[in-house]
Amino acid sequence: MSGLSGIGVKVESGAAAPDEIYANTLPLLHEIRHALARLVESGEPTVIDIQSIPMGPGDMNRLMDALGEGEVRAEFEALGKTVIRESRYGGVWIIEHLNGSGGVAGRFIEITWVPSLLQAQREDVEAGLEALADALAAAGN
Amino acid sequence: MAASKTVGDVLRAHGVSRRGFMKFCAATASMMALPPSMVSTVAAAIENARRPSVIWLPFQECTGCTEAITRSHTPTLEGLIFDSISLDYHHTLMAASGQRAEDAMMQAMEENYGNYLLLVDGSIPTEEFESHSCTNGHTHLSMLKDAATGAAAIVSVGTCAAYGGIPKANPNPTKARSVQDLITDKPIINVPGCPPVPTVLTGVLAHYLVFGTIPELDPYGRPMAFFGQNIHDRCYRRPFYERGQFAETFDDEGAKKGYCLYKLGCKGPITYNACATVRWNEGTSWPVQSGHGCLGCSEPDFWDKGSFYRPLSAAYWGDARTVGIGAAAGAAAGLAAAALARGKQKKAQQEEKA
Amino acid sequence: MNEGLYWEGMSLLDFARGPALRWAVIIFVIGIVWRLTALLLASRKQLEPAKGSATSGGMKTLLTRSAPAHELEKNIVFQHYSGYAWHIGMFVVLLFFAPHMLFFKDILGFGWPTLPNLFITFFTVVTMGILLVLLARRLMNPVLRQLTTWDDYISWLIAFLPFLTGIMAFTHITFGMRYETVLALHFLSVSALLIWFPFGKLMHAIFIWPSRYKVGAAFARRGVRA
Repeated sequence: MSGLSGIGVKVESGAAAPDEIYANTLPLLHEIRHALARLVESGEPTVIDIQSIPMGPGDMNRLMDALGEGEVRAEFEALGKTVIRESRYGGVWIIEHLNGSGGVAGRFIEITWVPSLLQAQREDVEAGLEALADALAAAGN
Repeated sequence: MAASKTVGDVLRAHGVSRRGFMKFCAATASMMALPPSMVSTVAAAIENARRPSVIWLPFQECTGCTEAITRSHTPTLEGLIFDSISLDYHHTLMAASGQRAEDAMMQAMEENYGNYLLLVDGSIPTEEFESHSCTNGHTHLSMLKDAATGAAAIVSVGTCAAYGGIPKANPNPTKARSVQDLITDKPIINVPGCPPVPTVLTGVLAHYLVFGTIPELDPYGRPMAFFGQNIHDRCYRRPFYERGQFAETFDDEGAKKGYCLYKLGCKGPITYNACATVRWNEGTSWPVQSGHGCLGCSEPDFWDKGSFYRPLSAAYWGDARTVGIGAAAGAAAGLAAAALARGKQKKAQQEEKA
Repeated sequence: MNEGLYWEGMSLLDFARGPALRWAVIIFVIGIVWRLTALLLASRKQLEPAKGSATSGGMKTLLTRSAPAHELEKNIVFQHYSGYAWHIGMFVVLLFFAPHMLFFKDILGFGWPTLPNLFITFFTVVTMGILLVLLARRLMNPVLRQLTTWDDYISWLIAFLPFLTGIMAFTHITFGMRYETVLALHFLSVSALLIWFPFGKLMHAIFIWPSRYKVGAAFARRGVRA
């Protein structure tokens, strides 16, 4: 009776815990509902940093399941991948920033018409204008 | 010198687009526990922030803090924060060694005199034990005092540097002291933990980078943004505590269901740290989520507070022997009092008869 | 385990959980045993012949005094039943709050089931409310006030403070103090209770049974209904 055989090991299946246990999904959905109402009434956008909310195992997945998949999905590559997608509720966007090694660096829910990161950024546009002008000049036109 | 560049310059040199920069700022704000509405402020500040020179001195330590920080290092956002500072001396991480490394430190200290950030991990042996921890023939006490003179601020990384930690644990064989015990004329930020949460350290560095100031600190010198609330109040298992559902052992039904670990000695109610929200290993998990109570490692003298597995409400009431002696003493006093009373009674009766 | 409890920079909570409580327990045990021994050994010479059985009279009184005497019922019914409510609430909070049970389990070696915090909060609030009402009554009723000694006020405060500090720690309404400080004050208030207990009116918790018995026995001997 020595070595590893002496240690009781129980292999857990990946089954999620029952829904009612970790109840962070529901208050967040209510918060999102209020934010949506504000957007509709006054056009005021809201950003929720869901990565810094205490969540139990499976909580994040349940929230994502509740929000579901919408029509729009976009990705960009800058300091690792970022995925921006609309949830099944229009105007509720899920933004996931991944770092270079695929880990989640930040996770936000934006309640807005268009997430600001989807728009071209002024600095990048200015740099692009310059680059295009240079390219045309270099081509002799 | 690298320290003269702005962080914006460094990021652009890495080929970071504006989108990437905004992403970096959003993650940094999140890391600093700032609300998302602060992202644009953070962006403006980072753009123009100068890269601070950082000198990291390891003293009486186990390198666990450095290990923890570097585990989050490679191509992550924390890594970028590290790239945004100019880490001029860290003898575990730097390529140079021996005299060249020491020269680099001296040079960085001279060039940035009054402006560099001094990071310290490990406690410092003092008095007759001063020489028990040395680097390159210098005692750590003298190194700390020298380096602190020219520092703008000091960050004590880990519980040893912040509060003395394990080396200072009873009976403190090297008379170990924390940085704040020895240096009193510089602003000191304590980032305790054994090891500290890497994201918290980078968050503190980011704050210094962005605002150029010391964050708001609690009475133990810890940044309020990360150490403002105790583990118990932010714990996802808190509802079980309220409902009175506890794991009684580490392998019972309650433990499997993820019930509260209070009965197994969790020190969450008196421990202030960011584990419950920031978590470890890129937000994967943290000790309580993995089924073990909080040890309270970010608190002063956590090593001396009795067993990690003793419930917080179980006090140190003594032992049966002491109580037995107390009872015997009480009985003796009671017998004496009764004898005295009977004596008086007898006397009174005799007087009555007479 | 106890040796490791003294170290430099010991916090208030460490002091409260350790040395303060330990000394309080010692004083408590000495005091209780002392006073109980002295009481049980005290006797008076029975000069007159017995008119009834002292033992059965004593036993009977243990029970009959648990309900208000019929003749007095009208006047004392409020304090009698609020007293019951207070003591029941107090014991529920003391024994069935999980951290409290763990405190006793550590001493006794065995535990028991506990109640959800919602119930404990309810009983704490009720208990504190009754204590406050009884104090107000004591202060406002001129006869009661005349009968009240400093011992009553101190015993009231000593009994009230553990509830106050306990609910402050539990609800985090700490008036600017840190949670650990309030938790330490809770332990210290219990230490104060343990120290005061054998020497003040709180000792009624122990004395109630022997003193009832003695009164009943004495009355029965004389053939008087107690």
